[in-house]
Amino acid sequence: MSMSPSGAASPGAAAGAAAMNAVTFEVIRNRLVAIAEEMRIALQSVSGSPTVTEASDFFTGLFRPDGSVVSMGFQVSFQAPVSGTVIRHINASPHLKVREGDMFIGNDPFIGALHQNDVQMIGPIHAGGRVIAWAGVQAHQTDVGGMDFASWCPKAKNVFQEGIRIPCVKLLDRGELREDVLEMITTASRLPDALGLDIRAFIATINVARERIADLESRYGADLLEQAMLRMMDSSEARMRARLRELPDGVYRGTDYLEHDGHTNTLYRIAVEITKRGDSLTLDYSGSSPQAPGFINATRAGLMGGACGSILSTLAWDIQWNEGILRTATVVAPDGLICTAQFPAPVGSATVETIWVVSNATMLALNRMLAASPRYRERAQTISDGCMATFNLGGINQFGEPFGLHLMDPLAAGSGAWATRDGVDAGGPITSPVPTVADVERNEQVSPLFYLHRRLAADTGGAGRFRGGLTAEVALTLGGIERAEALVMTHGAEVPNTMGLAGGWPGSTVVQRMGHDAIREGRPHAGGRWEVFGPKPGLMEMTNRDIFSVTWQGGGGWGDPLDRDAQVVARDIERGAITTHVASVIYGVLVRDGVLSVDETTRLRAALRRQRVGDFTTDPARFLTARPIAALTDSLFVARDQRGLHVVSRAGCILASGHSRWREGAVGRTWEKLPPEYCIRLHERLAITTWYCPASGALLAVDVHERGQRAADDVIVELADLERMGNAA
Amino acid sequence: MGFFIGTDVGGTFTDLWVASDDGQTRVFKSPTTADVLGGVIDAIHLAAEAWGLEFNAFCAQIERFGHGTTVGLNALLTGTAAKTAVLATRGFGDTLEIGRLRRQTSGMNETEFTDAYLRNRFAPLVDRSLVVEIDERINVNGTVVQALDEAQARSELRRLGGLGVEAVAVCTLWSTVNPVHEQRLRLLAQEEIAGVFVSLSHEISPAVGEYARMSTTAANAALGPLAGRYLAKLESTLREAGMRVPVLMMTCSGGVLPTEVLNERPAYALFSGPAGGVMGTLAIGERIGLRNLLTTDIGGTSFDVGVVADGRPIMRSEIALAGADIRVHSIDVDSIGAGGGSIASVSFGELRVGPASAGANPGPACYGRGGLRPTATDADLVLGVLDADHFIGGRMRLDRAAAERAIREQVAEPLGMTVMQAAWGIREVLDSRMADLLRRMTIERGYDPRDFALFANGGAGPSHAWVLAAELGLDSFIVPTAATAVSAFGTGNADLGFTTESPAYLRVRPGAVPPAADLVRVSDALEAAVAEVRRNLALATTASEVRIDRSVSIRFRGQTHHLDVPVAGERFDAAAFSEAAAHFERDYEQLFGRGAAFSRAGYELLSVRAAGRGMLPPPAHATRGDPPQPAGSRKVVFRDADHPVDTAIWRTVYPAAGTVIDGPAIIEFPGQSVVVPPLARATADEHGNLHVNLRGAA
Repeated sequence: MSMSPSGAASPGAAAGAAAMNAVTFEVIRNRLVAIAEEMRIALQSVSGSPTVTEASDFFTGLFRPDGSVVSMGFQVSFQAPVSGTVIRHINASPHLKVREGDMFIGNDPFIGALHQNDVQMIGPIHAGGRVIAWAGVQAHQTDVGGMDFASWCPKAKNVFQEGIRIPCVKLLDRGELREDVLEMITTASRLPDALGLDIRAFIATINVARERIADLESRYGADLLEQAMLRMMDSSEARMRARLRELPDGVYRGTDYLEHDGHTNTLYRIAVEITKRGDSLTLDYSGSSPQAPGFINATRAGLMGGACGSILSTLAWDIQWNEGILRTATVVAPDGLICTAQFPAPVGSATVETIWVVSNATMLALNRMLAASPRYRERAQTISDGCMATFNLGGINQFGEPFGLHLMDPLAAGSGAWATRDGVDAGGPITSPVPTVADVERNEQVSPLFYLHRRLAADTGGAGRFRGGLTAEVALTLGGIERAEALVMTHGAEVPNTMGLAGGWPGSTVVQRMGHDAIREGRPHAGGRWEVFGPKPGLMEMTNRDIFSVTWQGGGGWGDPLDRDAQVVARDIERGAITTHVASVIYGVLVRDGVLSVDETTRLRAALRRQRVGDFTTDPARFLTARPIAALTDSLFVARDQRGLHVVSRAGCILASGHSRWREGAVGRTWEKLPPEYCIRLHERLAITTWYCPASGALLAVDVHERGQRAADDVIVELADLERMGNAA
Repeated sequence: MGFFIGTDVGGTFTDLWVASDDGQTRVFKSPTTADVLGGVIDAIHLAAEAWGLEFNAFCAQIERFGHGTTVGLNALLTGTAAKTAVLATRGFGDTLEIGRLRRQTSGMNETEFTDAYLRNRFAPLVDRSLVVEIDERINVNGTVVQALDEAQARSELRRLGGLGVEAVAVCTLWSTVNPVHEQRLRLLAQEEIAGVFVSLSHEISPAVGEYARMSTTAANAALGPLAGRYLAKLESTLREAGMRVPVLMMTCSGGVLPTEVLNERPAYALFSGPAGGVMGTLAIGERIGLRNLLTTDIGGTSFDVGVVADGRPIMRSEIALAGADIRVHSIDVDSIGAGGGSIASVSFGELRVGPASAGANPGPACYGRGGLRPTATDADLVLGVLDADHFIGGRMRLDRAAAERAIREQVAEPLGMTVMQAAWGIREVLDSRMADLLRRMTIERGYDPRDFALFANGGAGPSHAWVLAAELGLDSFIVPTAATAVSAFGTGNADLGFTTESPAYLRVRPGAVPPAADLVRVSDALEAAVAEVRRNLALATTASEVRIDRSVSIRFRGQTHHLDVPVAGERFDAAAFSEAAAHFERDYEQLFGRGAAFSRAGYELLSVRAAGRGMLPPPAHATRGDPPQPAGSRKVVFRDADHPVDTAIWRTVYPAAGTVIDGPAIIEFPGQSVVVPPLARATADEHGNLHVNLRGAA
């Protein structure tokens, strides 16, 4: 992926590798993919970080000497381009001499890291006297120093107040561990032993890669191995370009927001405009907010991580993940945005703040492109798990040891609905292929926690014909200790990040609360003083008489909720996914004593549709009976009559003629506050506009936008292009 | 006459292995029937006929009857198990739904992980509407924080009874430390729902971690009524026919157990097939004096590998099944989608083989059942490894022209190769993926594969083994006499076995020794586990001698990955702790390299385990065999696709001891072809096992 802020063209395919037997290539390719997985097993076996061993916040990969990623494990896809940036930094730094047996350590977001907690190591792999590859490994470390525990410092005004920055330092010199350097690094951490154990795990992981590559090299030789690596990337690139050619050319926009920078509850925007022409993509983030004074920023490395992870997860689901896929895309973003923050901006919580939201906005735009494609519409997906709410806890644990924990449970938020099926309840993000959380018992065994519940939260899935997945929610107090220091922060408490598509609603916003003195004799009681937090209450003392309770974001919905099969809604009620009240208010479904009332439901739904738009349009000039030949979503169609091409609703009502900006013909209604049934709280600068078909009241889109503004048209395509693809399909 | 019998019910065939004490060994195969029992009885009829005996007369002379079945597995996979409810702690009823987020990706292979659209293939084992939260809570120390609300539990149980629930799984938090609420809930359930089958999590899966414990308990409860009925019917049918010995069921951990022990714990037998295969190989290894074994099985869709190191199978504590994590102590058999039915395809000028499989229907192109995609079996036919007229002992004719056409059009022409080159390419890609799995199972565990003997089982195993052996740097491989029915052989040869564990948490600072009171707690847990093992093995009266292995699970403080290390004595005192810690560090460094151990981290001791083995009298050893018969020759490809080699063909059912055949040769058994490459030599031992040495007579 091109990194140029000015948007220079992508370099294109690497120099063609000489012809290589297809059988030998496939044998080596399988090995190189397997090695990234073997690195994962080594890391997970030796690491001491629960984020690595019980959750999945880490990365393993193999790289070419120029920093391009050849193969990677199935973990955080945001990390795909990161180590490559460090390799390029080494290549460009004459003082960093690369010798056999060396390993480098680094975590500087201004060189190549998503944020300082993501400590990474890379090591060259030599063969025949030259470097033929690099192995890279990274894992989130709970604490790397800084003014506050866990190195996420809400009050930080610059990066110097955050965790230690290790630019790129040789930790193993020709196989010899530099204990003095290691000591300097671990000394900066509040949890030096945990960091020390993980660095040993990194060394073991890189050694595994070296041994496996050496085996391959002794068998096939360095030349063949290098050829195979180049061909793997070319192969993924060819497959990705073929896929892009199948998708409609056009401009696709996605906008998402995050609130509160640690200092004030300011609203920040991430806006991406994706232009797809032929077999390449340009992602332009120029419309995003300027950088913030607090720790939510991302550097350009973070932006690239978010953009790459989104492309891999959304468009390359069946292509081996490597640099070849990323070569098809160019990222444009001027310096100084919230996603290209300039030194010395604080960036400590970049991964869960700006990078996460970059990925939400990018995936939203990419899925709008899939939705407009006849071939791939069925697998267009709304947004999953729009935030990673933080609950960190530190102090002295029940065993009398200093401890720090980073609760990974928030991964259990809802996944977005697809165009053809509901989102997964507690499915989590899709940018991590294999997300996991730890058992409640495991957490209670090793950490001073006592859970009151961990369960699914009803009504949190974004409403739609296909429902967003429900989020999980937890409530907990301290177990075995009296007090600890907690860090509570998130975005998405006042921003619905899990955007729906095709008329589907976003899922719930985050609700985080503290029940002060809500525990008596180890049990919750009705008294207690409940405080509802804003997005970033920050650091606080918590005692074993307090309850921390949090509900995360449900997944986005797909399509008009009034189109959801009433029997399925009745089943949702039986399973406790939707309450009876919400079923009637949002879905227009009446269930009495567990029995679906079919006639009443039909009448209620008709009344709700009419209520949305007042009187239905009957002007014959606005109707078109021709059969649709293409579609923007499964509720917006393209059809032709003697006047030309139009965007029409399912009812045949013409919304736009000659162009795709269909909102001009729809009925809009703007909400500054939503009824409680939606479980969505809006920031004071945000509003939601719902768009309806004037002839039927069908819900066509739900836009989240800044107050006093209109959401930008999100799909700009030539209708004739869609017509051509529709005819071909 | 006395008969030793092992049976294994697979998806397609029910295998039966018999050894008689007059020195004959035979294998019989009968189609598996819908009720499972019928296929077993049919196979026994075949055996009785072969010995010229009436069914009842044959049954009366059975000395031992081992049995393995996938009946439970299939019931869970097809949702035909009993209607089951789950009782959980208030606030934690969604444990199966949330499934640690792992449920949604379970069952995905390495080419599918990146596709979120394929997630959530499996629903939770029990529907959310049948999960009931009970007011109660016990904490990590076993203290009752909230007393059990019996009135609420009773009213919920009555409601479940009204819904027709047949089985109840009880899994409350920290029941492994204090089981009082689970025990009480069992009584309440039995009182409120007549005839209900109840499983308690602290008994079925006594381990910390509520998701796997609840899944295992739910699976166990769902199978209980079904498995109980099936086993009772099998036992009574055979008893009525005159059999005097009990049916011994193969369990996941490789020991057999009488049905009365398994009636309460059907989950212990969920994965009996793979366990039987490894135990069969282990039994052969013991007879011929080998202690390090790699057991491989190549079937139509998968390649399975088990490892036996120093006479003990490598175990695992968890297996994913129907999307759920099932925690039962099991023989570790890993598997990839690579087999005779693996489909070869070319896209973007690249060759891929598997993991998609043509299965048995439509099957490979050469089956002529409508399959048009080229598979590994088609490649073997084209390469001359398989004989079109003599497949599965001639019971099925293969269409060589169809195989050639599929390979030519879909692989050879797109890649610009000859059909032979393409066929060999398919084999090479597939064999290298298999070799990868073998390396993963050995090298990643700190073993050198060259210290192991490779055993080739399954229909296609003996024809691929020479390549796998060479890939791993081995000189030889072994084809057991019962290679096509090795699981059945295992059920007839395994000893009694029962394993149980118990959580016992200790956190030890660097350099410290745990306080005496804590060590007493661990010792007591260990003794209780041993007593549980003895009690269950005592139910099988045939056990002549019982051996018990004790072990503890240890890890460095802060890690998740633990190792099991043996405990020599009966009590776990300070000396035993130090010894266990030292043993742990030794094993750890063997796994992760010298210097990897980080004793500055301190230790966590997690649980104790007792594994009991009750020795059974060994089956008779067969001694009779027949010399293989020559059956002409054909051209076969060995590596060089452009120059097939004239290869002698031999046929046998049971090679006589001392048989020697030099390569290039193919020895055809009913159901398998042993490929002996050029320069190699196959020799039959006194048990009918073929030893193929790739270096010839050396």
